[in-house]
Parts: sequence; C-alpha cells; structure tokens
Amino acid sequence: MAQGEKQRSVLRINLDILNAVRDEGEAKPTHILYRANLSHERLVRYLDDLTGKGLIEMKQEGENRTYRITSKGVGFLIEMRRAESFVQGFGMAI
Amino acid sequence: MASGALFTFFLNILSALVALLTSYYAYKAHRFIPNSLLWAISIGFMLLGLGLIVDAGTSLVTGRTLVESFSDRVLTLLASLSFLTIQMVAYLIMAVGYARAAFGNQAKTAAAPLALAGSALAGLYGYSILSYFVTFVLLAFIVFQGVLLRSGDKRGLSGMVLLAFALVFVAHLVFLVSVLVLGSGLFLIGTVVQFLGFLSLLIFVVRSEVVGPR
Repeated sequence: MAQGEKQRSVLRINLDILNAVRDEGEAKPTHILYRANLSHERLVRYLDDLTGKGLIEMKQEGENRTYRITSKGVGFLIEMRRAESFVQGFGMAI
Repeated sequence: MASGALFTFFLNILSALVALLTSYYAYKAHRFIPNSLLWAISIGFMLLGLGLIVDAGTSLVTGRTLVESFSDRVLTLLASLSFLTIQMVAYLIMAVGYARAAFGNQAKTAAAPLALAGSALAGLYGYSILSYFVTFVLLAFIVFQGVLLRSGDKRGLSGMVLLAFALVFVAHLVFLVSVLVLGSGLFLIGTVVQFLGFLSLLIFVVRSEVVGPR
C-alpha cells in the first residue's frame, strides 16, 4: 500500500483519480497511478469501478490503454467540489 | 399591526428560508458525502426553518389582533410551545452531530441530557426560560465544537459558518435575558442578531455553490 493511502477515504481516492484523468485529457494508467498514489492492483480496481459507473471511459489502441473523463464524470466532479466546499464549512473533510 | 411584530415576522421568515435552503444543500451534499454531521445539519436546519415559520406566524397573529378569547390564547400558547420545542430539538440534533464529528460515536449522547431536562418544567414562562437556556447551552456547545473542528482544518468557508452559529448564540443570550426581564426591545435586538447569523449562513451557502471544478 502506498504511503498515505491508509488515511484516504474511498471517495478521496476516486476524486484523485478523476482529477488526474480530467487534467491529463487522455490519461495513461501509469500517469494516473503516479497522481493518485496507488498500487497497480488497486488502481485497476478503482478504474474498473469508475468505468462501470460511467464517470470515465477506456480507449484501447493495440497495447496502449488510456482513460478519458466523461461528461457525467465532469458533472460529478463539479457536484463533489460543491459538496466538499459545503462540508469544509462545517469543519469536516472528505 | 405593531411595526415591531411585522419586522419580527419578516426577519423570521427570511431566517426560515435560509435555514430551509441550508437544510436542502446539506441533504444534497449528504448524497455525495455520507456523513452523520451533514445528516444532523440537514434535519436540524429543516426543523429550525419550520419552527421559525411557526414563530413568524405567531408574531403576525399576536401583533395583528388582541389575543383576548380563550381559544386564541390556547392557540398562541401551543404555537409558542411548538416553536420553542422544535428549536430546542433542532439544535440538539446539530449538537449531537457536532459531538459525533469531534469525538466519534461514543459521544453521541453528550448533549442529550441538556434537553431532556427541558420536559420537567410546566408553564409557558418557565418553559420559555428553560428552553431558551437549553438552546443557549446547546449553541455554546455547537460553537465550541465548531472552533475545535476549525482549529484542525482552516480550509474553506468554515469561518462564515462559525460566525453564523456565534451570532445565533449571541441572539439566544439576548432572548434569554429578554425573557428574564420581559423586555420586548431586547427580543427585537435578538431577532436582528439572529437574522445576521442566518445572513452569514446564506453567504456561505451561496459561496459554496459557486465554486467550480479545480
């Protein structure tokens, strides 16, 4: 397990992944892995979960696999940012 | 109608709308971030909003007419009792939510004994004093927990929420004094201070909604 991962909630990890994918445009798993600070095995699980929910989509070209955020994913990030701002107002963190 | 009663009515209605709006946004945030404090904030502010509407209605009726008939007096008494009880329960729920957020689940009953004592007294005047006192203590507890939580993480707009609760706390101190000395002028000041607290909350809600993606 990567250092610091233990303290992060599943929601926080998902947000880190989504932010990484959005910022990269077409994100390679290694880039997401670096940005989200996860082990490869766990990253695959999270990516599958986010793909299944329609928040990101996978593009396979030969050996290369990239991920891109969907419009649903962008909407989710905006709503999450608002919710995060709201909970921070009451002294909480995700 | 007495202008003071109309003024109180409008301030209470505006405060109620802000409370209901805060409740809605807390509910919305709870759908994304399941958290017991958010649930407590949502339920607490919903009750508070409904209570303030009842209080606004009472101030309108008592300000417009001379409450002389027995049935009118009973109705006014019941409305006042409802508002005081709803308000106390609302702040109790929020205080428990804050206690759980600050200390974990073992502290969930930390604020409960304060409110349970409220059912012991009979009579509206005694009940008013006690309920305002209990609400005042609960608000002091909420402000204290808010300071504790904010000291750990000063990001975001938490200062505005803390200011809102602090102003409502001061307002209830004024309400308590006004009930003790039977001063209607003080009660009006308390209503204005409480409204300023809800105004601070409204600014927070609006600002938390306009944040875009990072």
